[in-house]
Amino acid sequence: MNPGTPRSRRTAATAAALALPLAALAACGGGSGSGTSAEQGSGTGTITVWAHQGQASEAAALQNAVKTFNSSQKKVKVKLTLIPDTDYTKTITATDAARLPDVMEFDGPTMANFVYNKKLAAIGSYVSAKTLANATPAIKAEGSVDGRQYGLGMYDSGLGVYGNKKLLDAAGITYPKGLSDAWTAAEFTDAVKKLAAKDPDGKSLDLQESNGFANEWGTYGFAPVVWSAGGSLLKNGKAQGALDTPAVASALKTFQSWKKYTDPNTDGNAFAKGRVALSWVGHWMYPAYGKALGKDLVVLPLPDFGNGPKTGQGSWEWGIGANTKNGKAAGAFLDSLLDDTNVTAMTTANGAPPGTRSALTKSSLYKQGGPLQLFADQLAKPCGDRDITKTCVAVTRPVTAGYPTVTAKFSQALSDVYGGADPKTALAKAARAIDQDFSDNDGYQLQ
Amino acid sequence: MTIVNPAPAAPDRRKPSAPATGPEPVRPRRRNRDALHGLLMSAPALGGLIAFVAVPFVYAVVLSFYNVRLGSPLPPRFFGVEQYRRIFTDPDMSGPFLRALLNNLTFAVAVVPLQTGLALALAILLNRKLKAIGVFRSLFFLPVVFPMALVAVIWRLILARSGDGLLNSALHAVSLGHWGAFDWLGDSLTAMASVIVLSVWQGVGFQMVILLAGLQQIPGELYEAAELDRATRWQQFRHVTLPGIRSTLVFVALLTSVLSLRVFDQVYVLVHGGGLDEDATRTVMYQAVTTAFDQNNIGQAAAITVVFFLIVVALTLIQRRVVRPGNED
Amino acid sequence: MTRTPLRRFADYAVLGVLAFVFVLPVLYLILGSFKPSDQVLNGLTGFLPTHLSFDNYRAVLSSFDSDATGYFWRFMGISLLLATVVVLGGLIVNSMAAYGLTRLRWRGQGAVFALVLLLMLVPFEAVAVPLFYLFNDQRNTVWIQAVPFIANAFSLYQFSTFFRAIPPSIEEAARIDGAGPWRTFFAIVVPMSKPVFASVAILTFLTQWGAFLWPVLMVSDPAVRPLPLEMSVFQGQMPVDWGQVLAFGVLLILPVLIVFAFFQRWFVQGVAGSAVKG
Repeated sequence: MNPGTPRSRRTAATAAALALPLAALAACGGGSGSGTSAEQGSGTGTITVWAHQGQASEAAALQNAVKTFNSSQKKVKVKLTLIPDTDYTKTITATDAARLPDVMEFDGPTMANFVYNKKLAAIGSYVSAKTLANATPAIKAEGSVDGRQYGLGMYDSGLGVYGNKKLLDAAGITYPKGLSDAWTAAEFTDAVKKLAAKDPDGKSLDLQESNGFANEWGTYGFAPVVWSAGGSLLKNGKAQGALDTPAVASALKTFQSWKKYTDPNTDGNAFAKGRVALSWVGHWMYPAYGKALGKDLVVLPLPDFGNGPKTGQGSWEWGIGANTKNGKAAGAFLDSLLDDTNVTAMTTANGAPPGTRSALTKSSLYKQGGPLQLFADQLAKPCGDRDITKTCVAVTRPVTAGYPTVTAKFSQALSDVYGGADPKTALAKAARAIDQDFSDNDGYQLQ
Repeated sequence: MTIVNPAPAAPDRRKPSAPATGPEPVRPRRRNRDALHGLLMSAPALGGLIAFVAVPFVYAVVLSFYNVRLGSPLPPRFFGVEQYRRIFTDPDMSGPFLRALLNNLTFAVAVVPLQTGLALALAILLNRKLKAIGVFRSLFFLPVVFPMALVAVIWRLILARSGDGLLNSALHAVSLGHWGAFDWLGDSLTAMASVIVLSVWQGVGFQMVILLAGLQQIPGELYEAAELDRATRWQQFRHVTLPGIRSTLVFVALLTSVLSLRVFDQVYVLVHGGGLDEDATRTVMYQAVTTAFDQNNIGQAAAITVVFFLIVVALTLIQRRVVRPGNED
Repeated sequence: MTRTPLRRFADYAVLGVLAFVFVLPVLYLILGSFKPSDQVLNGLTGFLPTHLSFDNYRAVLSSFDSDATGYFWRFMGISLLLATVVVLGGLIVNSMAAYGLTRLRWRGQGAVFALVLLLMLVPFEAVAVPLFYLFNDQRNTVWIQAVPFIANAFSLYQFSTFFRAIPPSIEEAARIDGAGPWRTFFAIVVPMSKPVFASVAILTFLTQWGAFLWPVLMVSDPAVRPLPLEMSVFQGQMPVDWGQVLAFGVLLILPVLIVFAFFQRWFVQGVAGSAVKG
């Protein structure tokens, strides 16, 4: 080694080597211009498709849909890849846009972020007009950013309180018949307490806490408390003044008070086995609950904290990769996926409210007089993600590229509150952190 | 079984980074040849370490001065020391980080003596000529082969907060029904203790085996002599056993403390799917990984990493200082 | 030290109780893997061998039987392949380097060794983010899952502590016979260093087998996914089927347990052998 080597030169070389990847980072991020490079292509050949691997029955329905599509025509062949639910979003985030598949599924609220990161192409010019027109208003609202459609879902979602009629009657509790006479928060708390007093282990409520609240379930399941208290997660790109209001803090205080009466439900059977009388959860538990309770199952709206009862909305959606070279084939596959046969098969498998008008009217679960009519009623009164009035019910989680931060901070605050933290402090902290993140990212403006 | 005698290594240990000493008069030609071969032999490993550890780490230092988001279309923006300011002094953002530091420290301070002590006790128990002693050794070593992610799942069920949890039902039975359901993982007082217990369960067999080998190094005559002197068992332990495995014990303690600072897997798995109280158990590595991959905030994650590295280096240097004088006798 | 039968009995009693407490969680895992989910988490009855069946195993295996989900045995194969490459590659590369750094004399060697010690303190999680950026275009390859883990500062350190303790006279003798450093290393040093090789191999294998964070970041293609990633498939279900989670857990550690059963002596003695002198 030559001791006379000028150190500065080595330093400069090192600096250059380190700066290179940083430059590459900038290039692959901002350099791709305003549009995406999706192409119509020939409409023939093989396309790749990614989907999440959730419930076994859903995965089977999807694999079946792909098989049918592949055998029904000769032009397009679909190659499906299933990735476990819990790693799915991380996988898309970590994958460069150029390596994403032609068609992919994504969780509704993550869509805006993928649009912002240029991972999704607008689907308007690839799927048929008929498919677009057949989507329910709530699904359409969830899948669009700045007036362009990026995603469509086979199914929507609904949130409610399932009740065990036998236990409710035994405790002498009257419960609502539908949206119009929803419990107030005080009435709900009262019912929980009364039921707990009659319960051998003093637990009368299930909040699906077994996987924790510091995740998407926390936001999906309990943002309705915020909305129903007149607050919102984000208003005009700011959380302060929307999320940390005294009304929201007081609503979360009520939420906190339920922990004492809540079954931890590690085995997932608290409600089905009759250990609790009330279960705060989504439509997806209906198949299990319906089977276990039969005629004793009642489905109630979430309690009203003052601004009317609210529910979450939205679920997994389908979109087209920003760099697909075969948009036409991708569109053809989506048309097939969203037809009545496949939507009905999927929603039969997972019990979700169908995301298309035609399948919804045929659904035996969600039609008027059906056992889950409540969820259909809720979705028929969509709020979108902004104007959360007293009369609308189904709220879309904020459609913003900053959603990952919004949900991380809110669900963290919720989890802290459940664990005993002061709601006012926790919410204020979350709101400040969200606003800081938005300002770091220039408000996540689409470019 | 070949066990290296500690004695010949003693002189080297004084300066672990010094070149090994061969016989004194070395001809220069041999030196040159050694240099070439030494470099060649080290090259693949050094190349790997530089490419996959050193360069990425230096890159992390660079990233920590930028506002970089995973996948964002915005170009990285120079941020100066803003990320560092935030994790140390910002009233909102410093909270979780400082708490993570404190948790890391709590974990290490509890685990190092606990695990080393338990390992020593087990090693002494197992250092006897009994039938089937090998079976016992294997049983205590068994948890070591379990991946942490699986260990976390098993203990999540054992410590479940419902009355159906294994520990709760056991206590219920033992207390004749006086014990109700307790939320071991979710309660901020017991959350860290739970993580400590399951970590010790998983790791102690490893330290035990190392100490056992150390114990077997101690010549039996020393104990016989002690017995002749009518030394009590405690005196034997104090004056024969402890001095005999001193260097092994130091090694085990050092190893345990380095590993305990890196704790991540079990916390991550239990927080994400086990209702573990996050604030009471988040560690610095946990903080870095969630900042990077749940919040896409690469710049801040890099800053956390850098601070963590500096702390580990500082602690290791202090440890070497404290341990070294005793190590030389 | 003489032992009366009474003492011996006491020894066994203490050991027996301790071992029982230690093994309980493992028993729980194995029993639970044969039970339906609602019998797993059911208080102390979780330990009763009732309702046993292979249903969970069947369900686990049948969850991976198409191109879309990938195939169980293929995941297992990838994991074995990765472990083999990392273990064998690591043994060769790190032992060679340790020898070159501790037993040969050259300028700057001390500084280089100090650097290695420093790198030993960098946990993988700390460089995962930048590493992920630097190698993002190598996603879904087998090599990117294995190669970064071959060179390992801790293994190198383990080798070096062992090599330092080898009396110089042995090598000197070899050199006088005309053997160069390479032959001295491979023909003389390696054969007498079996314990440290066993120890490093075992530790590397265990770490590699459970690797999780890196594959999550780098692999989405079922054709090259390693086994531990698939744990998420069962934990993502609502409600979680604990029986299936535990069955997957058993399948995950089965290869390790088999290796452990056959090489017990090596496991236990190998780990101890290298580390005895710190």
